[in-house]
Parts: sequence; C-alpha cells; structure tokens
Amino acid sequence: MLRYIASRGLRALITIFLVLSFAFVILRLSGDPALLILSPDAPPEALEAFRKGWGLDAPLWRQYLGYFLNIAEGNFGQSMRDGRPAIDLVLERIPATLAITLPAFALKLLIGVPAGIFAALHRNSLIDRLVMSLSVAGYTIPSFVLGLVLVLVFAVNLGWLPSGGYTSPWHAVLPIVTLGLGGAAILARFTRSAMLEVLGQPYIRTASAKGLIWRRVVTSHALPNAAIPTVTIIGFMVGSLIAGAVVVESVFSWPGVGRLLVSAVANRDLAVVQAILLLVAACMVTSNLVVDALYGWIDPRLRSGRTVKAGG
Amino acid sequence: MPIHSLSRRAVLALSLSLTTSLSFFAMTGTQAARADDRPVVRVAVQQVVNSGALTPLREQSNVGARIFPMIFASLIDLDRQGDLSPVPGLAESWKRIDDRTLELVLRKGATFHNGDEVTAEDVAFSFGPERMFGDRKPFRGKEAQATIQADETKPLFSAATVQGGPDLPPEVPAVGRRLWPSLERVEVVDKYTVRFVNALPDVTMEGRLARVGSQIISKRAFLEAKDWMSWARNPVSAGPFKVKEFRPDNVLVLEAHDTYYGGKPTVKEIRYVVVPEVPGRVNGLLSGEFDFVTDVPPDQVKTIEANPKFEVVGGPVLNHRLIVFDKNHPQLADPRVRQALTHAIDRQVIVDALWDGRTSVPAGLQWEYYADMFHKDWTVPQYNPDLARKLLKESGYKGEPIPFRVTNNYYTNQVQTAQVLTEMWRAVGFNIDIQMKENWQQIFDRNEPRGIRDWSNSAPFSDPVSSLVNQHGPNGQQQQVGEWTNAEFNKLSDKLETSTDRPERRVIFGRMLEIAEREDPAYTVLHRNIVLYGKRKDITWKWSPTFAMDFSADNIRFGQ
Repeated sequence: MLRYIASRGLRALITIFLVLSFAFVILRLSGDPALLILSPDAPPEALEAFRKGWGLDAPLWRQYLGYFLNIAEGNFGQSMRDGRPAIDLVLERIPATLAITLPAFALKLLIGVPAGIFAALHRNSLIDRLVMSLSVAGYTIPSFVLGLVLVLVFAVNLGWLPSGGYTSPWHAVLPIVTLGLGGAAILARFTRSAMLEVLGQPYIRTASAKGLIWRRVVTSHALPNAAIPTVTIIGFMVGSLIAGAVVVESVFSWPGVGRLLVSAVANRDLAVVQAILLLVAACMVTSNLVVDALYGWIDPRLRSGRTVKAGG
Repeated sequence: MPIHSLSRRAVLALSLSLTTSLSFFAMTGTQAARADDRPVVRVAVQQVVNSGALTPLREQSNVGARIFPMIFASLIDLDRQGDLSPVPGLAESWKRIDDRTLELVLRKGATFHNGDEVTAEDVAFSFGPERMFGDRKPFRGKEAQATIQADETKPLFSAATVQGGPDLPPEVPAVGRRLWPSLERVEVVDKYTVRFVNALPDVTMEGRLARVGSQIISKRAFLEAKDWMSWARNPVSAGPFKVKEFRPDNVLVLEAHDTYYGGKPTVKEIRYVVVPEVPGRVNGLLSGEFDFVTDVPPDQVKTIEANPKFEVVGGPVLNHRLIVFDKNHPQLADPRVRQALTHAIDRQVIVDALWDGRTSVPAGLQWEYYADMFHKDWTVPQYNPDLARKLLKESGYKGEPIPFRVTNNYYTNQVQTAQVLTEMWRAVGFNIDIQMKENWQQIFDRNEPRGIRDWSNSAPFSDPVSSLVNQHGPNGQQQQVGEWTNAEFNKLSDKLETSTDRPERRVIFGRMLEIAEREDPAYTVLHRNIVLYGKRKDITWKWSPTFAMDFSADNIRFGQ
C-alpha cells in the first residue's frame, strides 16, 4: 500500500511540476505584467522601473530557476499587483469559493444520483425520458448561459433574488443553483448508465430468481456495483471544489478563487496563478488518491487484488 | 451503495457546506447600521483599480481616475461638471511669482480623513522625495542634465530608501517625474503658504496641480504606514470620502468625510462593486442591486432605457480614440501612404453606426479646455476616398499587406471599429491584415512587422503638453516604443514645454498638429471617447467629462 501511495505521490509531483512549468512559460511569453498592471498609458520609464523592480528584465531561464528555488524553500512568491504573498491571497479566497461549491456539490449529489437511479429503474418510461432530457439540457447548456437565464428570470423579472455580489446568503443562491444543476445533470447521466449496465448482469437475475424483494436487489446488489463510475465522477467534482467555479464566479461577481485566477491570468500575476494551480493540482491529486482508496472499500475484489472481468 | 447511506453523506456534506457558507457571510456581513440615515450609493464598476493600489502614482488607468477625486483633494480643482476651468481646492488662491515659481495660499481648517489639519508641511511632503520622486532628479534642461547625469553614480531606477517612511516601489518615482518633470522643490513659506519652484520655466504648473496625481496626502499617515502597499490600500487625504474597506477585484467602500472642506457629503457611503461583465452590471441595475453602473456599451442603452425607472447618461470625456502608425513598416515609411489611410476614414459613419451618434469627431488631438491654445479651425483629415486613392497611387503601393493589430475590445467597440476601418481602407485599395492580439505586449512586439494599432489619448491637464507632447513627443509612448519620430516635431516639443510666450506656444502647437496629423502622420484621431452610465432616474446626478464620478454634496440628490 505504501509503495502504491509513494508511486502515486511521485506521479503527482511530476504532474504538478509540469503544470507549473507550462504555466510559467506560457504566461511569461504571452504578456508583460508591467503593461497589464500599470496600464499601457503608464510612462515608459515607469514600465521599465516596474520590470526591473520585479526582475522581469532577467533572462527567462533565470526567472524560471529562481521561481522553483523559491518554491523549494516554501516561498510561492509575491503578487506583483498586490505586493502580498501569493499564497495568502489564494487562501483568503477559499472560504468564498467553498461557500458556493460545497452546497452546489451537495445539490449535485441530492439531485443527480437519485435522478440517475430513478431513471434507470424506470428505463424507457416517460419519466426516464424526461429526466434524461433535462440531464442532456443541463449537461450541454454552458454555465454562463444558465447563470444569465437564472438572473434574468429570478433577479430581473421576478425580483426574488439578487443578481450578483456576495453580501448576504441570498446572493449565494443563484451561483449554487447554477453550479449544482450542471453537475447534477452529469451525475444523473453517469449514474443511470452505470445502473443500467449492472441491472443487466446475471447476478441481478439470480438475486431476483432466488426470491429477494426488488428493493433489496437494488440496494444490496445493484447500487454497490454501479457505484464505481459514479464515485469516479464525484471524485473529480471534489477535486474541482477549489477552482471549479471560474465561470460562475465571474457571472455572479463572486469573490472566490475562480475570479482571482481570471484576474491573475489577465494581469500575468504569475505567482498568484502558480499558487492557484498548485493548490488545484494538489486537490485533484488528493481526491484521486481518496477515490482510489474508496474503490477498494466499495469493491472487495479490488481490495483482494483480483482482476475484475465483465460479468463478475 | 444503499440510498439511505448516500443521503446521510449528502446531509453531512450539506451541513458542512452550510457551516462554511455561514462563516463566510459572518466574515463579510455588513456592520450594524449606525444612526445615520443618509443613503448608501451602490455602483457596479468594471474594475476599481487595475494595479491593486488606490494611488494615482501607481494606478495610471481611467478606471482609477473615476474614484480618486472622491478620496483625494487637490490644491487646485476643476469645475468637473462645468467647463473644466480651474477652481480653488485646498488652495484658496494662487499667484505667479515668476515663470518658474507659483505661490499658493491654503484654506484654513481643511482636514484630512484622520482629523489632522492640512498644512503647508503636508503639501511639501506630498511633492517630496519620500512620497513622490525617490532619488529621481528634476529635468533642468538638456545641458544641465548631461552634467548631472555624468556626476551621478546612483542607478537610475531604484526604490527610494528614505528614513522614517515606507520604501517607494520603483515605478512611483518614475510616474512622479512624468507628472512633474522639472519640479525642483516645494518651499514652506508659512503654515498656510507654499511655493512650487520649477527648474525650468513652465506655464503648465497650475494645470499640473489640478491633474490626477497631484493630490495632497497626510504626511503623518504616510510615515506611520507599515509599508507602501498598506498606505496605498488606505490612503489618507482630504477628499469628500475616506476609505473604509478595500478588497482588490471585489469592492471598495468609501465613507463620508464629514468635515470635508467642500461640505458634508449627503451620501453616507459609496460601495463600488466589481462586476466585470456588462450583462452582470446591466442586470444588477435593472434588478435594483445597484444605483449606478459604469461602462455601458452603446448597444445596451435601449435595454436599460426600456425600463422607465432607469436612464443612461454620459457623453464625451477628455479622451480621444486614435489609430497609430508605425512608420518603420516598409509600406508605411512613405507619408503619402499614411495620409491615404487618414483620408480613407469616414469618421462620422463610425460615430453614427457604432456610437448611435452619441459622440462626435473632434478637431484633432486637442480639447476645448485648452482655452487660448485650442485651434478652433483645425480639423481631422477630410474624408476623401479619391484623394486617398491618388496618394496611394503616387506612393507606388502595390497592395502589400499592412498589419493592423487589434485587442479584443480593450476599447469599447474596438473590434467593430477595426472591421469598419479595414473595409474603408480596402475600398481605396489597401490590403489590411487584421491581427487579433491578447494584450499590449503582443501589440508592441517587434519580432513581426508592426503597422497600425489602436490607442486613446487623454488630456490630464489643460495644455497640449498633456497630450501631444506627453504621448507623441520624444519621451512619449509612441516614440519610446520606436513607432514614429520626427526631428522638427521633437524640437518643437521641447520648445512647447519651456516657452512662456503664449502666442508663440500656440503657433508651435499648431505646427506640431500639422506635422503629426497631416505631413508625417503619427496617428489619426477617430472620435471622442464617451463614457456612459446607467442610473436610477430618481437620483439627480451629473456626469463629468473628466472620468470622475462625483458624489460630493453638490452633485447628487435623491428623489426627483
């Protein structure tokens, strides 16, 4: 197990290193922070002074080396815009992001999983088609479109909810619903197809034939077997809790990590972008590790190391 | 996985999320209302400041210029909603001692946000090395400067390290010197009298004092700040509002400075909320979330005004939209080709089609508030496609592609304007290659040939030095990035900066316009830029052509 975790950990470190290197090169080559932060109308001598002050006039390889040496010492650098440590800026935005992504995650689970199960158990019925139509719609409508539609209906026309901002719990409702509905649609589709596959297996027929009531067949035999693909998707969703609301935060002017990322990329505030990427990569890798561990708990065959073949 | 187990997990997740949400709102929640029944003004802005700092010595953008007059106070102010003429600010009077010296008498009893009285000491400090110039010396004329620079061993760009105050970021002295290139010193004559002494004769000193960046700050507050950024987040000046809360990219809350010398504000608080997207701002206004929204594009005017409770106000500001030429491009080296480009543009069509006729074509790169320096008879190059074709033919242009670098609507209607221009140029025989770029570094990139680009120029004070010299002169951006230069223009530029003979300056300025807009085009002006605000109709408020949103007592009234 330790070896397994060590190898996963090493792969995670390599992934994070590659992500950071890629972002560093792309961001540094494609924009000048001085022009973006001070504005193109700033005096040329001020732009030059800014570049010199932040070491942006040094060769790229030296900046790259310096950046990673600093990270090795636990220093993620300072925001060129803000002057404060980049990691502090990112950490202070996390509560705002979690304030919408966690309830949205709960909403995804509460709607998506039961809807998928229900649709699978009533395959080809009117309800199944309705659930799947809504699911396809939720899956395909981009979140910024859904967000704007919800704002038009519930904020502008009905006046029930605020259109954006973050000063009261009511401000969180539309962002949560926007995030939650899209995710629920994805979960419903995956859960339905996993359930359908399992329900067609011989052991489900056997369980029914030996006289088990249908509810018991579903809860004890079908659901645990259908859980693996659903848990994988849920794992991805957990991994994206920190930076999975970039678009929605922009649409609703929500001051979370996503908005910070957009503004940091736009201004080429490299240290902040890198700190966010590091955090997101770490979350993703951790959630993947947890999901891997969960597979073993859900499926005893994986725990004992047996190969899984179709049909058990 | 049994359903009831999933539900328990979901319930746990929901509880956790609710706890997180509630803690977040507890942190950001508004404070209990105090006994102050003045209204709060809520403004949705595209951005509060780009640079993260609430100081014009770092923030050089127009978005910053919108809020600074509410925080900072200047010695000389402008009639912002009127003819932009100078009016007393913290200085109640001023007079010229000579062509290098200006004496100002401060009003007594004006206070900073921290309660301290504004004195001559604060004025001198505001224009001193600790706050503005670092170790950058004033420009004392070309000969004197050569001697000084030869003697100096200090690096040109270095943060000022002055005892007792926060270190300046290196860009601040550079900006300071751009605002006041030749300011030698500010002398304290007595507690309420100061003298600005310039190294060179300068007729623009009064104008420079009224510009953004020349505001007065509290010396004590600056010296007590933990570091420069802490200061820049919570600057202490003597404007009508003081900083209560600032979270970059999110919100700026200003609260009334009740002892403001210009009268107690009738507004308790101004909340500037960052809503980067246009639909977000417009929807926020229509749903009652905001009282004002900024940067309304012309195509949203009808949407807002369809609701009888709201209206769109605004108009031309002190900023013109230009097209800039790089005369190093092989096809643009011949001035006739650039002249042809300027004559092929039907500017009125752009104004009517893209701006709904809400703006106009100005008289070149100048503004009426230049007063006696304004050339009323000057015009932009006439729209004359035949002349454009003739010039093009004479130049020997054979249809080689000319790059036109465009960013994605950094300026309102930028892409649409570029498309219209390209078609107008194509109609007279040009082959224009529109190249979409992400940012300004890519616009200025010299690795590929540069041809045409977009720009806008402001007039931060009432003299051509503020625009034509500062933007296109030897130290201006266009020459600094190597796009254009002209020996005669540069000589005149130096002369315009130091001459005190106003009729002579007027002639010089006229000649500079001729060179840069007609003979050897550096740029061509398209139209005046406009700023449109969406607002509640029941609030009486007047917009200003200076970019500033003025919420001081005499410019806002609730209830029609």
